[in-house]
Amino acid sequence: MSIMIVLLRNKTVTKAITAGFALLHIWFTVYCWMNLNKTELTYFTYSSVGVLLLSALSVLTIPTVLHGFIYASKDDTKKYNIYHSALIALMMFMTGAYLANGMTVLWIFVEATTLAVAALIYHDRTEIALEATWKYVFICSTGIALAYLGVLFLGFIYGREDASNLSFASLSGIINQANPMYLKIAFVFVLIGFSTKMGLFPMHTVTIDAHSVAPPPISALISTTLMNVGFLAIFRVYSLFSSSSVLPFMNNVLIISGMLSLLIAAGYMLKAKHLKRMLAYSSLENMGLVAIAIGVGGVGYYAALFLVVLHTFTKSSLFYQMGQLSRILHTFRLDDCGRYMKLYPAGSLVLLLGMVCILAIPPSGLFIPEFMILKGLVANGQWFVLVASVILLCFVIYAMSTRIMHIIFSDPRGENATLPPDKVNQAETITQFVLLGLVVAMCFYQPSFLVDLINQSIEILPR
Amino acid sequence: MINYLIVLFAITLIYFAAAERLIIYSRLIGMQGVLLCGIAVFELREVNTANLIFIVAESLLFKAILIPYLLGRIIKKSGVTKVHSLAMPGFYLLILSIFALLSSVILANALINPFINTIYMVIALFTLFTGLLLIVTHRLIISHLIGFLIIENAVFIFSLAIGNEMPMLINIGILLDLFVGVLILGFFGMRLKAHTNELTMLKD
Repeated sequence: MSIMIVLLRNKTVTKAITAGFALLHIWFTVYCWMNLNKTELTYFTYSSVGVLLLSALSVLTIPTVLHGFIYASKDDTKKYNIYHSALIALMMFMTGAYLANGMTVLWIFVEATTLAVAALIYHDRTEIALEATWKYVFICSTGIALAYLGVLFLGFIYGREDASNLSFASLSGIINQANPMYLKIAFVFVLIGFSTKMGLFPMHTVTIDAHSVAPPPISALISTTLMNVGFLAIFRVYSLFSSSSVLPFMNNVLIISGMLSLLIAAGYMLKAKHLKRMLAYSSLENMGLVAIAIGVGGVGYYAALFLVVLHTFTKSSLFYQMGQLSRILHTFRLDDCGRYMKLYPAGSLVLLLGMVCILAIPPSGLFIPEFMILKGLVANGQWFVLVASVILLCFVIYAMSTRIMHIIFSDPRGENATLPPDKVNQAETITQFVLLGLVVAMCFYQPSFLVDLINQSIEILPR
Repeated sequence: MINYLIVLFAITLIYFAAAERLIIYSRLIGMQGVLLCGIAVFELREVNTANLIFIVAESLLFKAILIPYLLGRIIKKSGVTKVHSLAMPGFYLLILSIFALLSSVILANALINPFINTIYMVIALFTLFTGLLLIVTHRLIISHLIGFLIIENAVFIFSLAIGNEMPMLINIGILLDLFVGVLILGFFGMRLKAHTNELTMLKD
C-alpha cells in the first residue's frame, strides 16, 4: 500500500488507500484477539502484551489518518503522498515490532521505524526539521547499534546454531544457565539502546526534539505508540531475565532510569517555553513512571501496562489538538499563546480535559496506575523513591497546569501574536473527546477483556 | 593471521585518538573496512560460501569504499578540514584511549566464554569505547558521525565472534550498515551545510 501511494501519485487514491489501511489494521487487530498466542509466518506470535499494544495503535489509526488528511491537505501531491506512504509504513513496522517473537526480528522492525519516522519528521522541509531529523536518525542509529550489542550478548549466551533466531521461547529455556554478568550487560545495552524509542533517560533528548518538530498527528503516534515499541522491547528482555538472579539488578537500573527521567522532565517542564516540547517532556515523565512501576514489581507490573495504554490515548489526543491550536494561534511558543477559550472553545475543553487526564487527577484513568505505583513503593518500603517521585510529580503538575491555564484563559505575553486565526471546525475535536472519554471511563470501569489481557501479559513475571 | 589483523585494527583505533584532520579519519575508516574484510575471510570458515561472499563484499564495498568516499565528499562540501578547536586535545584523548584499552582487557577477561575468542571481545569493547569517546569529546557532527561508524565496526567485530554459529546475526549487522550508509551519510550528510556543524536550533 505504501509503495502504491508513491507510484500512483494521486491525492484521492492516496486518501482511499490510507483509509483502507486504517480499516484493515482494525480488522487485523480483531483477528489477533481471536487468535491469541498463535504463531504465524514463523516470526510472529499474537502474544498478550503484543496484542494489547497493537490494540492501542489500532484505536489511534482512524484519528491519526483523519488528522493527517487535514494537516497535509495544503501540501503538493508529492509531499502528500510521501507523508501517507511513510505513515502506513510506520504503522506496519510498529505492528511487526509488537508481534515479533524473537529479539532479532523485533530489532529489525525497530530499526525500520526509524526510516519511516525520519521521512515524517522531515515533512515540512525546513532547517529546523532537518536538524530534528538528523538528531533523530543519528541518535536512534547509535541506540539501535547499542541495542544490537545487547542482542549479540544474548547470542553469546547461546553460541549455538539451533538458536540463531534468538526467539523469546527458546531463550527462556536457558536463561538460568547463563553467566549473570552477560545478562546484566545485555540488559543495560538493550535498555540504553531501546530507550531511544521509549524516550527514557539517558537517550530521551532525541524524542523531545522529534516530538516538537514533527507534524502533530505524527507527534501523536511517535510519543505514544512508538514509545510503546521501545517499552515492549525492554519489557520483553526484562520478562525473559526475570526468572534469573539478575532481577534485583534490573529493578534497580529501571528505578534509577525512571527517577532520572522524572527529574529531567520536571526540571525542563518548569522552564518550558514551547508547548509541544512541554508535552514531549510529559511523555518522558510518564515513561519514567512506567520504568519505576516495572522496577517496583508486584502491582507495579499491572500498573505499568495500564499506564502505557492510558498514556497512549491521553497524549495522542493532546497532540492531535496541537494541529488545531497551530492553525488558530500560529505558534507553539508559550509566551505567544493565549485567549484560546475565546478563539476555539472546543479545543480549549480538550486541552483542559487532557491536562486533567495526563496529570492523573481524578476522574482520570491514569490516577489508578499511578496510585498503584505509589502503593507498590509503600509495600516495598522504598520511601526515598516514593517521596522523590511525589515531589517531582508536584513540580510537573504545577508546570503543566499553569501553562495550560495561561493558554486557555490569559492574554498572550509576546508581541508576535497578531496573526488572525484560521477557521477550524469544532467537529475536528470529536476524536480527541472520544479518546479522553475512554481514559475517564477507565477510572470507574475497567473492562474484563482488558484486565485479563494485562494479567496474561504479566503472568510470567515473579509476584 | 587473524591476530595480526586485529592488532593492526587496534593501532588504527589509537591513531583515531591522536589524529585531528578529518580526512585522516575518513582514511582510517576505509582502512578498518579492509581489515574487517580480512578478519571475516579468515574467521568465517564454517559459513556457507554464498553467505561468506556476501559478507566479504559488503565489508569491502561499503566499509572500505563507499562510506570513506561519502565521508570525503561531506568533508569537502562542508569545507571543514580539522576537528573543532574546542574538542579535547589529541594528547588527552590518547591517554583516555589507553585507559579504554586497559578497561577492555579487564572486562573481556571477566567475560570469558567458551563460545567466543577473548581477543575479539577485547578489540570489540575497545572499538566501542573509542567510538563513544570520539562522540563525547568532539563537537562537530562529522566527528560524531565518525564515532558512530566506529561503533558500527565494534558491532561487526562482535557479530564476527559468533558468526560461524549464528551467521544470521552478521547479516542483520550488515542491514545496520546499509541503513547507516544510505540514510545518514548519503541523504542527511549531504544536506547538512557548513554552518550546521553545531546543531543548536532545537533547545530549551
